Formats: sequence, C-alpha cells, structure tokens
Amino acid sequence: MSHLKLTGIRKSFGKVDVIEDVNLDISSKEFVVFVGPSGCGKSTLLRMIAGLEEISAGELFIDGSLMNNVDASKRGIAMVFQSYALYPHMTVKENMGFALKYAGAKKDEIIDRVAEVAKVLELDQLLDRKPKDLSGGQRQRVAIGRAIVRHPDVFLFDEPLSNLDAELRVQMRIEIARLHKELQTTIIYVTHDQVEAMTLADKIVVLKDGKIEQVGAPLSLYDDPVNQFVAGFIGSPKMNFLPARVEDGLLYLEHYEGQFINLPKLSESLKNGTKVVVGIRPEHFSNSGGSSLSLKVEIVEHLGGETYAYASNGNAELITIAMGANRNISSGEEIEARFDTENALLFDNFGARIR
Amino acid sequence: MTLFDRVQRAMVYVLLSLAAFVSIFPFFWMIVGSTNTSADIIRGKASFGDQLLINIVNFLASVDLFSVLFNSTFIAVTTTFFTLVVSSLAGYGFEMFRSAFRERVFAVLLLMLSIPFAAIMVPLFVMMARMGMINTYSAIILPTISSIFIIFYFRQSTKAFPGELRDAARIDGLNEWQIFFRIYIPVMRSTYAAATIIVFMANWNNYLWPLIVLQTNEMKTITLVISSLASAYYPDFGLVMVGTILATLPTLVVFFVLQRLFVEGMVGSIK
Ligand SMILES: Nc1ncnc2c1ncn2[C@@H]1O[C@H](COP(=O)(O)OP(=O)(O)OP(=O)(O)O)[C@@H](O)[C@H]1O
Ligand SMILES: [Mg+2]
Repeated sequence: MSHLKLTGIRKSFGKVDVIEDVNLDISSKEFVVFVGPSGCGKSTLLRMIAGLEEISAGELFIDGSLMNNVDASKRGIAMVFQSYALYPHMTVKENMGFALKYAGAKKDEIIDRVAEVAKVLELDQLLDRKPKDLSGGQRQRVAIGRAIVRHPDVFLFDEPLSNLDAELRVQMRIEIARLHKELQTTIIYVTHDQVEAMTLADKIVVLKDGKIEQVGAPLSLYDDPVNQFVAGFIGSPKMNFLPARVEDGLLYLEHYEGQFINLPKLSESLKNGTKVVVGIRPEHFSNSGGSSLSLKVEIVEHLGGETYAYASNGNAELITIAMGANRNISSGEEIEARFDTENALLFDNFGARIR
Repeated sequence: MTLFDRVQRAMVYVLLSLAAFVSIFPFFWMIVGSTNTSADIIRGKASFGDQLLINIVNFLASVDLFSVLFNSTFIAVTTTFFTLVVSSLAGYGFEMFRSAFRERVFAVLLLMLSIPFAAIMVPLFVMMARMGMINTYSAIILPTISSIFIIFYFRQSTKAFPGELRDAARIDGLNEWQIFFRIYIPVMRSTYAAATIIVFMANWNNYLWPLIVLQTNEMKTITLVISSLASAYYPDFGLVMVGTILATLPTLVVFFVLQRLFVEGMVGSIK
C-alpha cells in the first residue's frame, strides 16, 4: 500500500553531518531494519522519516508524494519510542485514543477502535489504568497499541524492546513479527540487537557514520557482505578476521608463522605480497576441511545447546569457534581447527570485499 | 555508644531544638498575642489571655476586612496565575527550542537577577506614573509577571521533561501550543505546584512595591494594613496579632493544598 523512497537524504546539525546521502527504497508491506553502531544516525534517519527532524537535503517520498514539508501527523505514520513516551496523566484508553481525538474521530469510533486493538494486544483489563501502574512489558504493548489504533501506513520503531528484560524481549519480538503478518503494513525498525534484525527483517540496512554500508535480506548480508564492516557487524558471535599475505597462490597467515592456507576462488588473481584480511565465521570451523589452524583453547562457553571456544596460538587475537553441542572441550586443550577456505571471505586493506 | 558519641548526639539535639524553637516561637507569640491586651504583650506576657474576641471586634472596627482581603487575594491570585503561565512558557521555550542566541539571551536574564529591586524601584514608579497606573492593581501585577527566577526554575525542570513525549504528541497531531497546554502542564504539575507556592507567598507578602504604588485606603493589601496598624502612634498590638494571623492563614492553606502534588513525581511517563 505504501512505499517509501529516500533520495540523497542528508542531515546536519550545524556543521556536523550526521546523515550523508542516503538513498533507499522501501516497498509496501516490507519490514526494514536499520542497524549500525551507536551514534551512526539510525534514530536521526528514522526521525526524519517521521517528520520530527527536518530534512537538510534530499527528498522523501511516501506513496509517491513528497513529504519533506508535511507535518508529522499527516504522513500516515505512527511511531513507537524506546521510552514508550506514554502520556503519564492519561489512562491507557486515553493514551490510545488521543491521536484519533485530535484527528477528529467520533467518540464511538474511538471507543470501538481502542477496544478492538486492546483485544488483540490483551490490554482489555488495563484500559483504565495509568501508565505508572503498568509493568514494562505492558507499557510497551500500550505504546504499540497506541500506534496500531491509528491504522498507519508505516510503522516506525526506535529500539522498542531495549528497555525490556531478555525474556520479555523474545516474547515481544515474536509478537511484533505476528503483528506485521496480521497488519500487513510497512515497518521501519531501528535496533542494535543482532537477533531482532536477523529474525524480523525482510531487509536490513546497515549504517555507519551516517552512510549506508549495505542493504539486503538478512541471510544475503550474512553470507555475502560487501565489506569487512558489514561482515563483522552482522552475525553473533562475530566473524573472525585474520591478517594475511598472498604468496604464490597461497595465503600466509601473518600471526601464525609458517602456516599457509589455500586461497579461495576469486575472479581476479592477487599479486604476491598483497595484504588481505581473511574472514571466517565461527560455525565454519569443523573437524574436516582443507585448511587448519593449530590453536590452544583459552576460554570455553557452554550454553548447553551450543558451545563456543575462544582459542589462539599464544600471540594473536582470540578466534571464536562454534563447536555445536560439544561438551568435552575444556580450556587449555590444543586443537586443530579445520575449515574449508571456500567458506572464507577476503577483504582488502580498506575493508572492501575481494571476490 | 561511646561517651563521645553521646555528647555529639546531645549537641545535635540541642542545636535542633534551638532551631525549632526559633522558628516556632513567632507563631506561638502571634497566637498568644492575639488573646492579650496590647499592654500585656508589651510586658512580654507569654500565656493565653481572654482578649481574643475584643481584639477581633476592634480589628474589624478599624479595618475594612472584606476589601483588604479582596485586594490581597485578587492581586496574589492574578499575579500567580499570570506569572506561572508567562514564566513557565518562557522556561519551556528556552529549553525546548534551539537558537543561536538563546544562551546569550538567557545569560542576560540571569544577570538581571543580580539587580536589587531597590535599584529599579524609582524608575519603575516613574514609568507607572507616566502610564497613569499609580494606585491600580495593574501597577502591582504587571511588573512581577515575568519572574526571572521562575523562568530559570522552569527551564531547569524542563530538562527532566522527556523529549519523546513531545515527539509522540507531534505525531499525534498536536501543535506546539497544544503540546504545552495538554501535555507539558499536566505532566509537570508538581513543578507548577512548587512554583505556585513560591510565587503566591512572595506576592501575598509583598510589601515594598504595594506600599509605594497603592495610595488610597480602599486599595490597601493586608500587609500594608498590618504595617500601618503597627506604626500607629499608640499601636494596639492585639490588633496587629489578629491581623497577622489572618495574613498567615491563606499561605498555609495554599501550602497544604498543593503539598501533595509536590511529592508526586513523573513516574510512569518513561521507564
Ligand atoms: N539535536 C542534535 N544536535 C546535534 N547533534 C545531534 C542531535 N541529535 C543527534 N545528534 C548526533 O547525531 C549522531 C547520530 O545520532 P542518532 O541518535 O541518530 O544515533 P543512533 O544511531 O540512533 O545511536 P544509538 O544507537 O545510540 O541510538 C550522533 O553523533 C549524535 O550526537
Ligand atoms: Mg538511537
């Protein structure tokens, strides 16, 4: 129903450029997640879409109409804030119906719509309470309910779950996924939580320093990142990065003297002496595979269903190895971590992917 | 408990008792005084007498209580209302809206806090006289509405007002005025309660400026009346005490009515 188009969007606060030339297409009913390190401009970009922050340059279209100078309340959006931002002096019912009242809806209609949404979110029993008498999870649901009541074309979420404890977070994450299925609206969602991004998104937008690094489906970002930043940012635990040098069609691992591994298949051949960074995901280590590293396990994390070993050869950075449900490993053990170089990614000195 | 601890404790209690005595004594004296004759009060009689009714009757005979209370109440209530609206709006604006000049303008405002009222009293009087406002309510009310202290107080308090609340209201379709009146004021009501107490008391007790600009008897406020009773050739201190009690009551009422709001925080608006 409603697609968004951002062309050449910029934002500066005084002399500081916070968003630089963002171009992005978001199609109707798509669930888009903005991720990126703290301070990269995720909230700022979202707030520009919402109409809460002026757009310094560039154009924002919603459903083909230019929105740059349209009032926040007239853009057909609803926003859920990190702090929930419920009006403390109003009851849950009043909070949820407030926007409708200002849009000039009739009393009966407001009551009906609030009741309908309250039922979906299981808020029926709480309608006459004030926000201060609700738990964190309930407040969060009211905040989402307040957004749904307006029947917006686009939902904006700014780290909506970050104030919740781990268990509630999982619960609400599933609830949001369910809501997206039911409501069939476009959602733009800001988070720095890996799992939320990977599980919820149709499309992830990775931002860094106000610029888009890569846009794509979660798994395509995971499997095929365009640069070292995206490779390191997507995936938890993080991808391992090993500095290396090309020598006669092999890779010489600089921190593992004397160890050579095969070069993965590349479209171009690399000159001898070229410095590269090899990226290997923790789960790509196994007992088989053409290349190997001799490592000593330093720390083991047993999560029950999953075991992570952090190992090194004494002088280099720790390498994370996913060992499935292996419970027999303990720190101090010497292991031979094998992997297939076809699974490894190569990056050049500037972090760009070498394919 | 060592001996030293005990001595220390005892000293703390002695000090506290002294402070309590010093602050409560005037009230006690006021109430006792209202029941005694002027001569007894001057002699320093500190026990209750039987003159209360006589003092009240005499007070009512020499003072037009209705008009005096009306003047005081009208001036204090009107001033408090406008001071709160104007000064809180200014404080809110200073904190919420960014501008290249706001810190400079604000610094100038704060500098003006250091100018004593005595220094602007005469020019202010001349100004009021030129505008023909001497001996009117406006002469008292207008100069006090913009209170730099209250602006400062509201700016500081606004720092605790969650910005996302304003964002949410904007998305819900409120304009800036509606945000101020429908969201900000109700959310900040404990701040308003505190400011009301401060401003109301200051205006109710205001003496110097009304003394200068209010010149006829029918305009006088209760503070002026008490002071003129006390400075008569043969002052009747029994009357003065009755008047003082009457002057104290409204401030106590305002304080106790609003006290509950003080305690209420902004729990629930944000996590
Ligand atoms: N009103 C403002 N004035 C000046 N700078 C600002 C303003 N708002 C944000 N910034 C700056 O813009 C940058 C991006 O901020 P933003 O809040 O968008 O980051 P974010 O990606 O949402 O970070 P986080 O994950 O911590 O929420 C930050 O460096 C911040 O300091
Ligand atoms: Mg943010």
